[in-house]
Amino acid sequence: MLRLLATIRKEWLLLIRDRGGLALLFLMPLVLITVMALIEDAPFRDYQELKFDVLTVDNDHGRLARYIKEGLEHSGQFTLVDSLDGKPVTQEDAVRLVNAGDYKICILIPKGATAAIVSNANRIVNDLSKRMGLPAVQPVKSRNDSLNVLIYFDPAAKKAFKSAIHQALDNFLTQIETDLLLERIKLQLHSKEADAADTFAIQLKAVGLQEQVTGPTKQINMVYNSVQHNVPAWSIFAMFFIVIPIAGNMIREREDGSLLRMKLIPGSYLALLAGKMLFFVSICVVQFYLMTLVGIYLMPLLHLPRLVLGHSYLPAFVIALCISLAATAYGILVGTLFKTPNQALSFGAISIVILSAIGGVWVPLEVMPPAMQFIGHLTPLNWGLEAINDLYLRNGGFPEIIGNAGKLIVLCLAMLYLAARVEKGRIS
Amino acid sequence: MITVKNLHKTYPGALEPSLSGLSFSFPKGRIAGLLGPNGAGKTTTISILCGLVRADSGDAQIFDLHQDAHHRESIKKMIGIVPQQIALFPQLSALENLTYFGNLYGLKGKSLRTKIENYLQRFGLEKNGKKEVYKFSGGMKRRTNIIAALLHNPQLLILDEPTAGVDVQSRNMILQFLREYNQQHGVSILYTSHLLEEAQSLCEEVAIIDQGRLVMQGQPLQLIQQHPECRNLEEVFLHHTGLAVRD
Repeated sequence: MLRLLATIRKEWLLLIRDRGGLALLFLMPLVLITVMALIEDAPFRDYQELKFDVLTVDNDHGRLARYIKEGLEHSGQFTLVDSLDGKPVTQEDAVRLVNAGDYKICILIPKGATAAIVSNANRIVNDLSKRMGLPAVQPVKSRNDSLNVLIYFDPAAKKAFKSAIHQALDNFLTQIETDLLLERIKLQLHSKEADAADTFAIQLKAVGLQEQVTGPTKQINMVYNSVQHNVPAWSIFAMFFIVIPIAGNMIREREDGSLLRMKLIPGSYLALLAGKMLFFVSICVVQFYLMTLVGIYLMPLLHLPRLVLGHSYLPAFVIALCISLAATAYGILVGTLFKTPNQALSFGAISIVILSAIGGVWVPLEVMPPAMQFIGHLTPLNWGLEAINDLYLRNGGFPEIIGNAGKLIVLCLAMLYLAARVEKGRIS
Repeated sequence: MITVKNLHKTYPGALEPSLSGLSFSFPKGRIAGLLGPNGAGKTTTISILCGLVRADSGDAQIFDLHQDAHHRESIKKMIGIVPQQIALFPQLSALENLTYFGNLYGLKGKSLRTKIENYLQRFGLEKNGKKEVYKFSGGMKRRTNIIAALLHNPQLLILDEPTAGVDVQSRNMILQFLREYNQQHGVSILYTSHLLEEAQSLCEEVAIIDQGRLVMQGQPLQLIQQHPECRNLEEVFLHHTGLAVRD
């Protein structure tokens, strides 16, 4: 026990005198998390959360235009712009401005659009009336011209954005067509039977959509945002970056001969290694919780969402511990395998950057090609991140993290075994 | 008693063996010197005696204990080693270094503190105990390096070039201490050096090795007397190991 405690104290003294190492362990992740969360905030935001200026060219001046305008404004996502410098927006202006990227979107409602919908509704009502033996009295246009509401997108607009707008406008068109159809049916049935049509309308709205929580607890509908991704992801990255101080520390000990002296002293070298490991695992866990505090308290000060932790505090500690063990063991392996600090530090840093990129730290794994997703699932950083997401986003508990925690522990043991074999080989 | 019998060692990938049947023996309680040019096998021999390197064949014994897996820990308890390198943590103070290594030997508390303070005083480092080792001069580092090997009261002190790169005053202090330590505590000392004049004045017995083999062994004065053409141990050494520069 004395050897273990003495080693922990020694590592503590070495760390607090290594200002560069301290900055690497605590300042670097703080900066990384803040910068990445700010940078990725906009791309991470759902389009539902963003507000766009929408140019509208209303050549219809009817109900359809009103419906579309009201619908878009009601959604809260759009600010409608129908005049520029006091003049109504023309189609030419709109196309030019959207093409230049000044506006993301323009909606052009063609002349006669409302009339076309009304005529179509009347035609349906007349047809139904005929089949029911009633007179077909609603006026219809002689020709059934096909009219389109035109949408112009900024050429740089993303596919997901386009499809969200398409879907929203489709909904408005369907809604107005349904409303007008019901209104025409009401007219056909005359006012005394209007209640029947109302019942029909109510029935039409009777079946809706309601999102349900999938996790075991009935908590919040968690939104996967920049903070929710970046804080755990870059915390794990920083925890694995402990490979740099550990490997550097081990190689320095080998180079300056202190390792030699430690090996010449009776007693198990494993106890010294355990002390080193225990110290750096503790540092990793402290890193994890400090970064969590950054997510909870600092991010909102920067007008970013607050990090939500879920309810599984003990499983979160366990997974932080497992990540720390794997990260520390990786540092010990790198420190054992390489002979010079330059080799170890370069390899350690580059390997962590690559593993983090593959493992979904930079961008979520879901947006990567399938082959990369498959590789990503093999990285320890992804195991840690997945487990954290299981706890924070999916409201999971021990059963949900046991697989990834197990993988991290097995990897830790495998790396320590390999390091021990290499070290033993050196003596023989 | 330190006994080495027919030791052979070739490092993986090396073209030449480091030790080729080396044998020698030193009696207990003496200051013995293991001398040889660069690459003669001195450090390899010491490493085998300490259990850091395994010999391909042959036998190494310290106080009648064979250096093998069974006795390795017992031997470690009996020996104190001053490696050629300054085997200390540069960022820690002398006091912190010595406390740490003392703790690894199972020493703690006031007794350890007193022992460290006494040694720091003995080696003229009492005012620098709290200074980080990287701020020390070469001589101060060497002296601290020696103290770290003495904390557990070893029966055998092995020093690998303990005065390399130190000034005359520090060297004098170190050699004086070794003589006193040997006389007062009866501790055996095995010492390697390139400084033949120093070895001649310090050692009661020396073994000169070259190319992994024993060239000659005996008391320095006897060896000089055996070579009438040589005036000192250095000339005896050159007579047997040649003038060619070694890598």
